[in-house]
Amino acid sequence: MQRLIEYLRLYVIIERQYIKARMQYRADFIISSIGMFFSSLATLGVFWVILHTVNSLAGWSWMEMIFIYAFYMIAISPMQILFDHAWQLRFHIQQGTFLKYYFRPLNMMFYYMSKMFDLKGLTQLFVGIALLIYASMQLHLAWTPTRLSLLMVTLFSAALVQISIMVAAACAAFWILNSYPVLGLAWKLREFSPYPMSIFDGAFRFAFTFIIPIGFVAFYPSQLFLRPEEVSPLIYFSPLIGIGLFAITYWIWTRGVNSYTGTGS
Amino acid sequence: MRSYIPIARATFMVGLVYRFGFFFTIVGNIVYLCVAYFLWKSIYGDTLVINGLTFNQAFLYVGLGSAIFILLKTYADWYISYEIREGVIANYLVKPIDYQIYNLFANLGSLLINLMAITIPTAIMLIGVFHVRVPSGPGLVLFPFSVLLAFLISFSMDYFVGIMGFYSESVWGLSITKEIIVTVFSGALIPLQFFPEQMQKVLYLLPFQAIYHTPLMMVTKPNQGMDVFLPMMAVQIFWAVVLFIGARLFYNQAVKVLRIAGG
Repeated sequence: MQRLIEYLRLYVIIERQYIKARMQYRADFIISSIGMFFSSLATLGVFWVILHTVNSLAGWSWMEMIFIYAFYMIAISPMQILFDHAWQLRFHIQQGTFLKYYFRPLNMMFYYMSKMFDLKGLTQLFVGIALLIYASMQLHLAWTPTRLSLLMVTLFSAALVQISIMVAAACAAFWILNSYPVLGLAWKLREFSPYPMSIFDGAFRFAFTFIIPIGFVAFYPSQLFLRPEEVSPLIYFSPLIGIGLFAITYWIWTRGVNSYTGTGS
Repeated sequence: MRSYIPIARATFMVGLVYRFGFFFTIVGNIVYLCVAYFLWKSIYGDTLVINGLTFNQAFLYVGLGSAIFILLKTYADWYISYEIREGVIANYLVKPIDYQIYNLFANLGSLLINLMAITIPTAIMLIGVFHVRVPSGPGLVLFPFSVLLAFLISFSMDYFVGIMGFYSESVWGLSITKEIIVTVFSGALIPLQFFPEQMQKVLYLLPFQAIYHTPLMMVTKPNQGMDVFLPMMAVQIFWAVVLFIGARLFYNQAVKVLRIAGG
């Protein structure tokens, strides 16, 4: 517990400096945030065009899709904001600059990821929250304290699933150096998470539920709030899935860190 | 022109070195095709024709769109802004080469390798695994030319955004915004026929539809007369020329503000 507090304190100190440095480039922050805003809405735009033609997607209305999408936006923002440095891992490994992370009396994953705090990712979080509030009001969802805490728990698990998938993909760099194609694939997969899983048939739904569980990033947890009567009991295991997946990713990271031999220069 | 061909060859060779990456791109494309298949299946349900397209045509449009996506997305904006930021661009300025033509050929090289490694396998999969029927007609003959023109348009847009790197270090935001606008408004993700009518009218006036919608329509509805296809290609040629020259003029202006400190 004490260590946790110590790490939190360190994190705040590191990020405060990082944000100060980033704020030197104010124009970059504004332009990047605008870019983030558009990219947050791209898939929702696709849903809008589709639902403008047909009234529902596998039985889900436009407003329900907004809710699922909002859940997805919030669930992916911790990855974007806190773990964005995962994308740079391949450069640090190729160029040998990763070595410096071995020389601190800190948890390596913590220290490595703390190097970046993606401010533009906040745009995504705000878009998500705004859409969630809007959809909840339109759908007349009652947010009792129980349901709110359920929302927090499912969001936390969903965020862990997303973080685990992306960090594991980035870790491929330890073995194949250029992990960009793997990251690209993980990124592509993640974009399917707000789709209603009910449109997929057996094999695919199985894969998206048990193998690469992107169903737990948005669709299954959203079901819990939109149509609790249709929910599969599996959703109550989502915290276990999130934590379990993160444990696997952490194991992969540790293996990678231990096998890395530097560049020799 | 001949001196630029080795450049295309070089990027082709570099692509061969990283062939491992193709595997993941192909897997990504297969998954995308499956997701698109289920998505459009569920949109169509029992309906035969929506917005003038059958399920087969809509899926062919979207699936083929994903196959040519890798050809038409050049990443030129990322490379050029990187070269400006790092000062590498100075190496080109002191040589008797044209920066735009140089980049065009470099991207043609990767176009060729992506065509063989990703586009053709994806297209074969579309027909072999998903049993998409490709109707026959004169449009199929025009398709390769139309894709080439689309490549020119897409390249010029990417080049344009890359050149903005002379003025701003923040190309990430610009590139992402451009990418989203291009993918959504070009028909790369959904056939343009599905957009609301008023919006379609605007989209047809913009250059983005000339990147995906035009070549894809030549394959989805190939059995039409030249009176349909020739105006479509004329529009593509118009945008290709305007954007290529526009980007060129922009470069000539922008390169003047370049300051590189030391070496």
